[in-house]
Amino acid sequence: MPRVRAVTASFRHQFLHFLADPQWLIPNVILPFVITMVALIMFESVQGGEGNFVLYAVLGGGMMSMWGNTLYSSGWSIAFDRWNGTLEEVLATPSGLVWIIMGRSLWNALIGILNGVLILVIAVVFFDVDLELAYPILFFFAFFMTLLSLSALGMLFSSAFVLTRQAGVLTNGLEYPIYIGTGCMFPIALLPFWTNPLSLSLGPTWGIDAIRYGALEGYEGFGIGYWADIGIMFMISVFYLAAAFYLFGVVERRAREDANFARH
Amino acid sequence: MNSETVIECKDLVRIYRSSDRFLKKKRETLAVNNISFEVKRGELFGMLGPNGAGKTTTIKMMTTLLLPTSGQIKVLGHDVAKDPFAVRKRIGLVLGGERGLYTRVTARQNLRYFADLYAVPMNLREKRINDLLERVDLTERADTRVEDYSRGMKQRLHLAKGLINDPEVIFLDEPTIGLDPEAALEARRMIKELVQEGKTLLLTTHYMYEADELCDRIAVINKGKIVALDTPKGLKSLVKDLCIIEVEGFGITDKDTEMLRSLPGVKAVSATMNEDKQVLRVQVVEASEMLTPVANKLGEGKVIGVRVKEPTLEDAYLWLVKEDA
Repeated sequence: MPRVRAVTASFRHQFLHFLADPQWLIPNVILPFVITMVALIMFESVQGGEGNFVLYAVLGGGMMSMWGNTLYSSGWSIAFDRWNGTLEEVLATPSGLVWIIMGRSLWNALIGILNGVLILVIAVVFFDVDLELAYPILFFFAFFMTLLSLSALGMLFSSAFVLTRQAGVLTNGLEYPIYIGTGCMFPIALLPFWTNPLSLSLGPTWGIDAIRYGALEGYEGFGIGYWADIGIMFMISVFYLAAAFYLFGVVERRAREDANFARH
Repeated sequence: MNSETVIECKDLVRIYRSSDRFLKKKRETLAVNNISFEVKRGELFGMLGPNGAGKTTTIKMMTTLLLPTSGQIKVLGHDVAKDPFAVRKRIGLVLGGERGLYTRVTARQNLRYFADLYAVPMNLREKRINDLLERVDLTERADTRVEDYSRGMKQRLHLAKGLINDPEVIFLDEPTIGLDPEAALEARRMIKELVQEGKTLLLTTHYMYEADELCDRIAVINKGKIVALDTPKGLKSLVKDLCIIEVEGFGITDKDTEMLRSLPGVKAVSATMNEDKQVLRVQVVEASEMLTPVANKLGEGKVIGVRVKEPTLEDAYLWLVKEDA
């Protein structure tokens, strides 16, 4: 139960900071709007508004904003604690840091869902996009699972933020490789062959493929079907979580050896 | 106080390794150098020492935030290196200062978050938060964002946070630093109450009168080593053969102070600035013989009063640190 308390308390705490700090508007409202607008204009001019441009632009924009939000929130929450001098204070409690970060990541995942919905609203309201989903339930299930996979990936990366003071560099460095590698905006088939193993090792890559199955009638994607995509993403995400738990243990010990909790 | 040992530090060493540039050879700093001591249940144990002496490093090791390079620490029977979570449940930590609080949320929200992280039972949580807010006199401002608090209010909130899990052992790192006299007095009253309630406290401070007033025993730390460990009375007895010439004056320069230090028979000199005058405390063996040379050295016009006093804990501390230099 103490672990559940740490998760729920950190979820609530992240929510309170979300309300208290208006800067959340940038990653959660303004950035998604800009990304979607650029993507829609770009795909519309290339494909003349025909074909799958809505799929790639709207879903791509949504996924990009969700990953950006997850990375920004998970990574910066540790950086914020470090600057604020509260990293030592939370580490001095009997709740492991991994549970605290999990609670915050879950809040970020919820915000990610709102981001995705916002993107859809922007597409419909400002760009008059016809969003007809082939299989709405499958679409939203894949959407939700992909978001959890992104959060698990965010947790895995956030362990590195315990060791480094350079949160900005790390965040920027991890943002675009995931945008490109997971095929958010364009199919990974367009990428050089040598990048495919890396792309396929990312859970959200399979999730995005599943989302496209749910959105488009007759979509072929990786050719393994919707549920296989979900299954592979689930297994990879479980691996992310297991690795995150292990790494948090390692980095916490390392930080206690190096005495870098208080440095900022 | 009973005889049960609740903190046991044995042959404790902490070395910091750092480098200024990438790939440059790491530099080593010995912060804590082979110290050992024990703290009994119900005791208020003080650590005195100059900046950089190793006090905060020692506290951070005892509270599981840092790993010792070598040696062992046991708190309430648990090894802090091997079993940190068992230790964290039963201790409180007050690091103090302007940082260490979530300033964009309220005091109540800060306390509620930490209550949850310490897994304070839900049926006790709100009552304990209200009691602590009352105790540190923050009830009226409990629902104001911490960023709008004064330094003293933040320090009081730190104290409340350190007590949120009703800890058996409380570590206080300079808990009164930056507080105005009235707030510091209130903090000391609270510390005494905690001892009366049976808590074990470990306190670091720069204020000698505070250590003298509060602590059962004091470890004087200098350059990472314990140079003395005794009761305040015992420490003062180390300098019982010394007399203190207290000089009050104006316009006394650092050069004057250095000249006093060079006088034969002078053991140590400390200088403080009061609101309206300077006060020098000159440690000598024989006050009657040294009164005139001390006054003459400073010269006329600078001295407004000279008197002989009994040595205090500050004199003992200065003597110990100087002896170790």
